[in-house]
Amino acid sequence: MITEYRQYLDPKKVWIPLTDGTFKLASVQVEQDDAVTAGQIVAYKYSGKLKTPVLASITGTVVGFEERLDRFNKYVDHIVIERSDSNQMITHEGLDDDVPAAIIRQRIEDCGLRQFNVDGLYTDIAFERPIKHILVNAIYANEPFISTDYDFVKQHAELIADGIKLLQHAAHAETATLIVDKYMDEQTLEALGKATVDKGIEVVQVNTKHVNGWDYRIAKQLVGETISPNLIDNQILYTSAYAAKHIHDAVRNGRPLIERQVAITGDALRVNVLYDVRLGTRLEDLVDDLGGYDDGGTYMCHVGSFLSGEQVAADSFSVTATVDTIDVSAYRQEPEEVCIKCGECNDICPAGILPQNIMDAELRNVNARIVDLHTDECIECGLCSYVCPSKINVLEWVRRAKRRVG
Amino acid sequence: MEFTMKKPPIISNQQRSYKRSLSLHISLIIVSLTAIFTRAFIAVPEGESWVPDQMFKTFLMLFTGALVSVLIELVYSISEGTSQEFSEYRRLVDPINTGLLIALLLPTSTPMYVLILAVAVGVYVGKIVFGGYGYYIFNPALVGVLFATISFATQIEYGDTPLVLLKQAIEGQSYNFELIDLVLGNYVAVAIGSTSVIVLGGVFIYLSITRVIDLRLSGTFVLAILIISAIVGFVNFGGAMWNYVFVNMITGLTMFGAVFLVAETVSSPTSREAKLIYAVVIAIMTMMVRILGTEVEGVVFAVLLGNMLAPFLNRTVTRSNKKLFIQTSVILAVVVLLTGFVLGFILQGRLIEAFDAMIQWGGMIA
Repeated sequence: MITEYRQYLDPKKVWIPLTDGTFKLASVQVEQDDAVTAGQIVAYKYSGKLKTPVLASITGTVVGFEERLDRFNKYVDHIVIERSDSNQMITHEGLDDDVPAAIIRQRIEDCGLRQFNVDGLYTDIAFERPIKHILVNAIYANEPFISTDYDFVKQHAELIADGIKLLQHAAHAETATLIVDKYMDEQTLEALGKATVDKGIEVVQVNTKHVNGWDYRIAKQLVGETISPNLIDNQILYTSAYAAKHIHDAVRNGRPLIERQVAITGDALRVNVLYDVRLGTRLEDLVDDLGGYDDGGTYMCHVGSFLSGEQVAADSFSVTATVDTIDVSAYRQEPEEVCIKCGECNDICPAGILPQNIMDAELRNVNARIVDLHTDECIECGLCSYVCPSKINVLEWVRRAKRRVG
Repeated sequence: MEFTMKKPPIISNQQRSYKRSLSLHISLIIVSLTAIFTRAFIAVPEGESWVPDQMFKTFLMLFTGALVSVLIELVYSISEGTSQEFSEYRRLVDPINTGLLIALLLPTSTPMYVLILAVAVGVYVGKIVFGGYGYYIFNPALVGVLFATISFATQIEYGDTPLVLLKQAIEGQSYNFELIDLVLGNYVAVAIGSTSVIVLGGVFIYLSITRVIDLRLSGTFVLAILIISAIVGFVNFGGAMWNYVFVNMITGLTMFGAVFLVAETVSSPTSREAKLIYAVVIAIMTMMVRILGTEVEGVVFAVLLGNMLAPFLNRTVTRSNKKLFIQTSVILAVVVLLTGFVLGFILQGRLIEAFDAMIQWGGMIA
């Protein structure tokens, strides 16, 4: 249960990963002992022909490069920056409405906003390929402790709406859709309604009490065809309301992305908080700031959405732009039982494939059957594991089947 | 303090397989108790035995069924070296369920050695050989019951059950059924489990709410039986069709089958369309056995046939979508209606007549 709102904007040191899940090569632009300013480009990371900048999040000195665990549970190179006293920050010039789309795209890229959400269906904020629909999610569900009061959304409703509008303009998109929760409090809904009403943004209400892959369904309705695991293939750009707010900041005020809000929850921690965090802060520093762990024991550290997020092996990783929630909870042993073939995973699957049958085929090593069952359409949303009454990790079996047939 | 990498979904919903089998367990016990108590007012044929005897025999059968089932699994697990598991009640739930089901599917007059053999065959051949709970392809209880009914046909005698009387009624005789008696379970039953429909209906609702049984299986089954029997009744009796429907729905293991046999998850298909087909096939088979077969109480045979089809049905489906689901439902509805009419006319021996009428009707339209 989130009870507090805190800030942690002045870390002594930050560790910024140079690469991530998609961009796996980096060329560093600074050297050891160089002085850097917050918002300055310290490296470029590459994925094929694409390149995107890595920004320094504090002003200070580069003290070295370290190989560390990142939030994707991989060991990658990090740049270490030690803070100096100055609070300088590089800002760009604010832009008005009448700027060409190309300049907005360049600004979003320069401010380090390319990758903001990586869980589930979220796509990168990328404009290399044609985009027809903008889909923005204002729902912030971090089970098992859903308690977010949507204060952020309520306060920044206007800015979020403007961010969505900017995205639509930048991508030349036909439609812009905002997904809201039926159970948001009325003020938030009203604020969002007011902000979006004259901007041509369609608002879709969903019921988050039913965990059934609503974002997949909405995306499918938008394009009216079977959608692929990467929504960009279906000309949909899907991102969160947080990204929309930061896009507004980047374009209108020229602020680079150097801090973000992170929800840190879980019963292993003394307090659950919404944190404003400088990017590059280690989780262990945040936990120290919160007063440490409850008591010794075995914990699970889970980054991102509770269904499709990433399990991390230690708490030493640093918060990046793609970390929206962190859950540290005690590990509860739940025995895996035998599959009773109830077929609930088959019913819930938003992609309409049959996880139970795929698992069966994988257990029997029948490649032809795995191909027949459209295994490649799996979007790895994790709903099959969520509904399984026997607590089998169905998703893992489907992943194995996917890997087997390539 | 350390971090573990196990179990990626950090949360899952509240459904648990064990809770479900426990609900089923409780329901079976409730049905068993009802069956024992209804023996108190069922008339016993003269000179055979008296009522307390019947009640005790029923209790003894249920108890023995459960006990033998547990013992067989225990002996097997001792030979496997996993007998430690049996110290928890958790491990006993499924063996007891199977044992109770077999006992509930046999009539009270069954000799004890037949019951014990049925349980032994059901649990060993039907379940353990395939790898235990979750792996069998035929419902073990039905394997046991089938073995008993075929091998010991003379020992398993039941009197004139309502369905037998109903079949004779179609051939010209007439009988009076008391609706109250049928509802309370006061009739000569084919098996212990064919008891009061009120209790079975309550269990049906309870288990559907707790999602132990899938309405796409049980609901479709009940609906299909209802439609087919209504049509057959209408073709043969006209206005008195509801009597026919009531007897078909209330007696003869229909509700028992819907709750405990058709909805058995392990031996049924897993996808939506296949579930519908499975339920309808069982319903049609049940009605066919009732109307055309000599063994009128045919739910056991029908469900076993369905089990046989389940792997095939699973193989035919590669993905589920709304269109396919609606298509399947419509086709199945047509099949059910057609089956009803065909069965109804066969009963009257008027199939050819009906066929002629259809051709004439077609000619009139043309």
